Amino acid sequence: MKTIGKRVTVYDVYDRAKTGQKVAENDWDYKIVPQAATALKKKYDVKIDKTKMIPEDPKLIDSLWQAGLEMLETTGIYCIDTGRVVKYTRDEILQAIAGAPDSFIYGEGKEAINVVPRAHSDSKAPIIQGGPTGSPCSEELFLPIHQAYAQEPLVDTIVDGVLQTVMGKDPVPNSPWEIMAVRSEALFVRDAQCRAGRSGMGL
Amino acid sequence: MRQSDSHEVSQLNELKIDVGALVVGAHYALAGNVVMVEQMPIFGGYAGGLEETAIIDVATTINSFVMLGATWHLDGPIHVRWGITTAREALAVAGHAAMAVEKHTRFILGNQYYTLAGPCTVMCLLETAAQAITDTASGREILSGVASAKGVLTDMFTPMEARMMAEAAYAVAGMPVSEVNVLLDKLVAGYEKDYKTAPKGKTFSECYDVKTLTPTDEYVSVYEEAVGVLRGLGLKYWDK
Repeated sequence: MKTIGKRVTVYDVYDRAKTGQKVAENDWDYKIVPQAATALKKKYDVKIDKTKMIPEDPKLIDSLWQAGLEMLETTGIYCIDTGRVVKYTRDEILQAIAGAPDSFIYGEGKEAINVVPRAHSDSKAPIIQGGPTGSPCSEELFLPIHQAYAQEPLVDTIVDGVLQTVMGKDPVPNSPWEIMAVRSEALFVRDAQCRAGRSGMGL
Repeated sequence: MRQSDSHEVSQLNELKIDVGALVVGAHYALAGNVVMVEQMPIFGGYAGGLEETAIIDVATTINSFVMLGATWHLDGPIHVRWGITTAREALAVAGHAAMAVEKHTRFILGNQYYTLAGPCTVMCLLETAAQAITDTASGREILSGVASAKGVLTDMFTPMEARMMAEAAYAVAGMPVSEVNVLLDKLVAGYEKDYKTAPKGKTFSECYDVKTLTPTDEYVSVYEEAVGVLRGLGLKYWDK
């Protein structure tokens, strides 16, 4: 029986990002990634017919999976701050796949949802996360807009918008107003969910 | 936020990361939070064409679970020319990647929605429906949207688009893929010819009574027109 290995952690990744192979970012973007993807497309004979948005051929589905898996293993991930490549072994990748969560509770109380995998053929519909999805939202209408989403009967959780201003100020990145804005977004969404009678709803 | 909310951290295009994301990932892991790792591969970007983008989408999805200990992965293949997730090529990348991942893992996958047309237009609702149909019939667990009119204009979105995302998903859940593909091909062909003249749409306050938080009669009528198109393509959900 094979010994269970240690899972890769974010700390391992950081250490590898400091010691991995040095690569110029332009080479990564314009040579390494596209050339590897094209080579794997040829190796696994991946061909997509765009009149069929969803693949029907099991061989194509498997080929695409193998190509993607090999892409991650052989190419790795580029860390833009250190200019180095983070690599994983095939075993590390497979272990992360095997150990990934296959359910989680989204939200609390009567609004809590048990999110579990669904098959493409499942007659149960996906979870509906309604909201502006990071679109810019005016400060004046942030609360009512999100309340309107929370009131939609088929909406299960909220994905919020981004405050354009907070207390009239521009929430410039890396400024104290940015922190005020993101905290305010969470507080407003909670209020909106409460006003819709769905206080345990996930965000 | 609560531990049971989705805590977001993003990868970068393509197959890249910054140290800041690792710092955020460490915080989420130590706090025991639900972690949602986001990435939107670009069709026509660094990856190149359809197949290459789909391969990178699969690799990126796996990486969310290896690198950042994701609870779930939020995808969003996007078209480089139009900046939307509802273009035929973006849908094909999403549909293929989801099916490949679904067959080989128990990952929980989401997809996010960026339409070209804005609220209170039939085109916006049909774009939304096309993606919801693709995501549902390719096995995704969470649909996240809608950032209408590309998600760049203030208050240019409403819950009616989310309603369509939900109803279209409910309408096709359990339908055979071969039937879904025929329907999708027709549905996308119906709006993709209009990209250059896509309607901008209306803001939330033009689409809703901001006191009662109900949609205007105009938007209800537009919604019914979009439903009519979907019924014409054979969806029975609204016949009940």
